[in-house]
Amino acid sequence: MTAPGNMQSSQKATLWVIATLSFAMAPQLVRMPVPVVIMTLLPLMWRIGAEIRGWKPLPVLVRHGATAVALLTMYFSHGSIAGRRAAVSLLTVMLALKLIESYRIRDARLILSFSLFLCATQFMFNQGIFMPFYGALTVIIALVTLTQLHRNEAFSAFDETPPVSASLFSELGFSFRLLMLAIPVGLSLFLFFPRWATPLWGIPESTLDSKTGLSDSMSPGSIQNLFMDDSPAFRITFEGDIPRPSELYWRGPVFWDFNGKTWRGSMFRKTLGADSQPDESQAQWKYTVQLEPNERHWLFSLDYPATTPRDSRITIDFQILRRQPVTQLLQYSIGSDSTFVDSPELAAKLKSSALDLPDGSNPRARELIEGWKREGMDDQAMVRRALTHFNQEEFHYSLESPLLGRHSVDEFLFDTRMGYCEHYASAFTVMMRMAGIPSRIVTGYQGGWYNEVGDYLLVRQSDAHAWSEVWFPDLGWSRVDPTAAVSPSRIASGSLGALSAPRHLLDYTWLRSFRNGADIVQQRWNDWVIKFSADSQARMFSSFGLERLSPSMLVTILFAVIGLFSLFLLPFILRVKGPDRKDPLRAVWLKFLKRLKAAGFEALPSSGPIELAYSAAHQLPRDSQSIHHVADLYSRSRYSATPPPLQELRDAIKEFHPMKNTG
Amino acid sequence: MNTAALISQENGINQRFNLWILERVRRKRGSPELPFTLEYRHIYVMPTMFGFWFGVLLALTAIGGLNFNNNMVLILAFVMAAIAQMTSVLAYRNLSGITLLGFRAPPVFAGQAARFTVLLKNPEERLRFAIQLVSSESSDCTDIKQQATGGLELELMTGRRGWIEMEPFRIENRYPLGLFRAWSVIIPNARCLVYPAPVPNPPPLPKTGRGDFGATRKGEGEHLHGLREYQPGDPLGRIAWRTSARHQTLYSRTMEAPCEDACELNWYLMGGRGTEEKLSILTAWILRAERQQIPYSLEMPAAALPADLGEDHRNACLEILALFEK
Repeated sequence: MTAPGNMQSSQKATLWVIATLSFAMAPQLVRMPVPVVIMTLLPLMWRIGAEIRGWKPLPVLVRHGATAVALLTMYFSHGSIAGRRAAVSLLTVMLALKLIESYRIRDARLILSFSLFLCATQFMFNQGIFMPFYGALTVIIALVTLTQLHRNEAFSAFDETPPVSASLFSELGFSFRLLMLAIPVGLSLFLFFPRWATPLWGIPESTLDSKTGLSDSMSPGSIQNLFMDDSPAFRITFEGDIPRPSELYWRGPVFWDFNGKTWRGSMFRKTLGADSQPDESQAQWKYTVQLEPNERHWLFSLDYPATTPRDSRITIDFQILRRQPVTQLLQYSIGSDSTFVDSPELAAKLKSSALDLPDGSNPRARELIEGWKREGMDDQAMVRRALTHFNQEEFHYSLESPLLGRHSVDEFLFDTRMGYCEHYASAFTVMMRMAGIPSRIVTGYQGGWYNEVGDYLLVRQSDAHAWSEVWFPDLGWSRVDPTAAVSPSRIASGSLGALSAPRHLLDYTWLRSFRNGADIVQQRWNDWVIKFSADSQARMFSSFGLERLSPSMLVTILFAVIGLFSLFLLPFILRVKGPDRKDPLRAVWLKFLKRLKAAGFEALPSSGPIELAYSAAHQLPRDSQSIHHVADLYSRSRYSATPPPLQELRDAIKEFHPMKNTG
Repeated sequence: MNTAALISQENGINQRFNLWILERVRRKRGSPELPFTLEYRHIYVMPTMFGFWFGVLLALTAIGGLNFNNNMVLILAFVMAAIAQMTSVLAYRNLSGITLLGFRAPPVFAGQAARFTVLLKNPEERLRFAIQLVSSESSDCTDIKQQATGGLELELMTGRRGWIEMEPFRIENRYPLGLFRAWSVIIPNARCLVYPAPVPNPPPLPKTGRGDFGATRKGEGEHLHGLREYQPGDPLGRIAWRTSARHQTLYSRTMEAPCEDACELNWYLMGGRGTEEKLSILTAWILRAERQQIPYSLEMPAAALPADLGEDHRNACLEILALFEK
């Protein structure tokens, strides 16, 4: 006799396993490099073919060769296999490859278990509102597969087909019911299983390979790419008034160093803390930000943050840097004071780095500035002159900007004159530095979509923006947005309103507002589920007067809830169903038997209706007539070619009240 | 007894565990009195090997989710855990209430597998999925529909003639997902008669050569044997109408075929062979005589049967041989 797990899995079960794996890997596939996707799908397709067409198993050498090729493809496409996303890709590819040598139930179960694990890993990257539904679908398919494998295992030793064969519909239904029944216990585990306040281990930064959003450098095109990305960056709930759109500058990475093409922040300034910070009591705006995970360190705020969120610090140029990268939905409350004066005096070292430009670059721009300088303008007039230049000359705010070469600012200012906010910010900052005004680039987000239902502001990645800051003595660093000079609507109505052409095929205004409105669902989901943590768990019952729940209390509640469920609810749900609903006749008949039993007549299971009627009538002579009547109706309903209506039998039984035989 | 070999396919710990359970059952409950209904105290539930590793994987997933406070991962792990836990109840429920009605085991010849049929009844209004019987040597599986009876067969290789006791067996199921196994150990009080193995090439049948030995094949044949009172089922052509008319009641003719060649199977006339060999030869002779429709008598030290033919006679003779003791 073969050990149960060593038996071959049937065709049906194998195809179900493949279906589960496909569902589990699909969200991963869309983000994988194309060659890796091919290496994943090939073995999968082969296995389906082998199952349907009966192809022979591949020789060992071919299988090992395929594995080697897949691993090499992985390595070259991802660059490394150390990252989180790369690791999930690796798991996906290995599971697909395992398929080609899986013929036993044991292997099928292995693949199935890891498919569920793979399904869980998707949630590291996406915790969107649709993911739980997708996850539930995957679980249902996995449950059908497990059922199949179980039937397969139980019956594979015998030639006969199982006496009961279920339809696909009933199998899906059964799995769905299992899932639904599990949800109460699953939810109580979710709510009451003690959480860890601090993680036992962190995610090494080197494994973060799915960074999104603004990066630590800015070269032409980097923000433009974000413009296509409609995923939410963060959501803000204000206490009190919401600032006007022109004030909604969400400050992120700040750049000082320019090499002629790329702007970078420098570690040196990142390590310096802010000399002074606005007073918390001065903060005009108080708000809570819910930041989507982006695997980066920046937290975003309006100018200038008066409070420092937990586990983070504020640098000298008012970037808020978190100690750990943001890999989970992060919520922080912060206050901002826009009237604060940032560095009324600037240290010489900082001043020089805010004026630094690569040697010999952009001669034409330098010439233009020299011309303005000769007109004897002061610093503020110079700023105005530059903005007027952008405003008066033929500049276009456009996504289609040609690639720029060595003298990128020159080419932009005099030749192409087309560009996106980053081009304007970059050109403007370079011009200011040429004029001897300390300046720097600030990137972040501008604007946001106000959701009236949820009373929060939604900022998408497509709201990414770049602007400049110039420094004047005593006035400190002041924000100047050259894009506003070219395209005022960019600031007034948001990044998408400023462009005339849609970004892609499905880019309609109504669709965008629908999506913005529908974001409330995601926001609530984040609020209620994704954000749930050790802290929210402990304060779950604070409204009932229980300040903090200790882990032991949580466990007690957990067991109480599960116990209550198992004792009362589960038996109720699992109670033995009455007679088959598909056979109403039998249901009615059983009711009749019940009445007889109450009167003291016990029917033998073997007796037919007529025989039963005779013995019942013998025992209960007073009801003999009605007993015979019911039995006759029943046997005619059951066996006659022209059965009487069911209602007749129902009525007869309704009126049937046998008297207990006392004699 | 074969108790040690109850589960040969599983590893040492498992085997020891099964032995321990078997001893427990033997001590507490012994052989069941039929009909025997499986109740909660008879049923054990444990995760299967697959269930165990599945649980480990779920635990790892949950630990990852807890560490990074990834609530979606946690929900998935917890819901899967709840499903798994629930299937242990379902596995138990799938077994509880099943009634063991009895055992049946037609006699076999030594060297053949004894086939014990276990009759199970599902007295309830729900389907029982994939109920398995497992013994050390074989297993069987079936679904039992609502209020239906199912027969499952367990085989047991026989070595020598005589009674063979049915092994203890498990009635189990891994319904619905194969994560948990619910089982009950049954120590059956059933046995199967094992006839001696017939020798392949027996010596020729020892014929008496006396046609008047007395044994005749009754019922069939052309010679009139006698008359008896009519019984329902007698062919019309056999009714002795004239005699019946005289006695005012129906009489049937009984017929007989003369036995030209009855044979006498006699223990004492078999020479100096070994006991088992003699028994095997006698068995082969009985089978051959049956096949050739030659009446045979059997004479053994402790018993003797007159010459006859037919299933009952054959079985009676074989039983004597099976249970023969020196």
